[in-house]
Amino acid sequence: MAANASIIGRTTRIRGRVSGAVDLEVQGFVDGEIAVGGDVTIDTHGMVGAGVQGKRLVVRGAVKGDLLGSEAVLLEDGARVVGDVRAPRVVIAPGALVRGFVDTGDAGMPAPRASRSTAAARPAAAPAHAPARAAAPPPKAEAPAAKAAHKPAPPAHLAGGGNHAPAPSPSVPRRPPPPVVPALKKAKGQIAKKKER
Amino acid sequence: MAQARTTSRNASDAGARIGSGARIRGRIHGDGDLVVEGQVEGELAIRGELTIAEGGAVTSEAVEAQSVVVAGTLEGDVAASGPVRLVAGARVRGNLKGSAVSIEEGARFSGRLDCEFDLPPELGGAARGDTRGRAAARR
Amino acid sequence: MASTVIGAGITVEGEITTDEDVVVAGTVRGKLSAKEGVTIEHGATVEADVAGGSLVVAGALTGNVTASERVDMQSGSRVIGNVKAARVTIADGAQFKGNVDMDV
Repeated sequence: MAANASIIGRTTRIRGRVSGAVDLEVQGFVDGEIAVGGDVTIDTHGMVGAGVQGKRLVVRGAVKGDLLGSEAVLLEDGARVVGDVRAPRVVIAPGALVRGFVDTGDAGMPAPRASRSTAAARPAAAPAHAPARAAAPPPKAEAPAAKAAHKPAPPAHLAGGGNHAPAPSPSVPRRPPPPVVPALKKAKGQIAKKKER
Repeated sequence: MAQARTTSRNASDAGARIGSGARIRGRIHGDGDLVVEGQVEGELAIRGELTIAEGGAVTSEAVEAQSVVVAGTLEGDVAASGPVRLVAGARVRGNLKGSAVSIEEGARFSGRLDCEFDLPPELGGAARGDTRGRAAARR
Repeated sequence: MASTVIGAGITVEGEITTDEDVVVAGTVRGKLSAKEGVTIEHGATVEADVAGGSLVVAGALTGNVTASERVDMQSGSRVIGNVKAARVTIADGAQFKGNVDMDV
């Protein structure tokens, strides 16, 4: 399997679809979709004209299409992306430019401590979260296990500063998690749509 | 990474600070930098850098600033002429517009990013605001 | 230097155009146009018309081939299609079905 790493070289242009189970590096131009099971690197001179799917996407080049990483999307200096970015881990470095919707995967609402009016403004999301203190991720921490297949979001860091400890906080879940998540997800979608207009 | 923590120096030197015990509801505008360590609800329009420090929370329909650094919580839309940085620990929901928007590892975000830039001509060049479709990329 | 490698486990459906060497160990369906060398490795599947400077085939190729220099079908290769090149070799153990055109 590892006999050949796959590389789309600098002067290579592919018009069509690239798929497979392994890693792929793009230094040239893929005018079409990429969907692989491994990692995808789009180098400084690399360009992709449609959506990219993979485990871990690292972009330093240009993409016109949605980026979907089952593990992570890392946009590095030089990246130019027009499209939506979705992954449990999204990092956008200084020098990377993006136009599109970005979801770090675990961005449930930042429990708005500041306001009550928010609860009114976002009825669907607020009830689940409003009582939760910023430091109390339990309702979410429980959830990912159940829906790992769809969204393997690490229940990382609410107040944790930079650390990315994947240890789900064992602190008491104050309410049963299952009903919370669907409501939250739906609300996220609605809000996103509203904002897109 | 450490930049977010140097803001208190800025605050005493050149700008304003809303301390961690403060809670403001209403419109805030001004020329200098602003550091929010407390809670603000309402429009924010400043000419300098807005820093929402760790523990600070802003809920706003519209945030305008030259540049923005978020280490705390922000809900609302941001329009900056310069860069917007979400550092580790930030929790942000809203649409962010700036010369560049960066999201550090450990920051959480949901919303649209809008930076002004051109794609290479092969990808349709300056297809501003066009986030979809590759018709323009075809020759 | 092989600058473009379609590795085992990768499938390209569409058209590949390049100025550099290409190695195919995976699958290509569509069209492949290169200026330099094209190597179709053992285990690779190419269902495409292929153009290149010189072409070495050790895998399976279905499609018409045009090379500005040469085409070498190695032992174990399987080629179905017409081959046009100044020089063509078919090794013992290579399977080939098609026309050869060695006009200069």
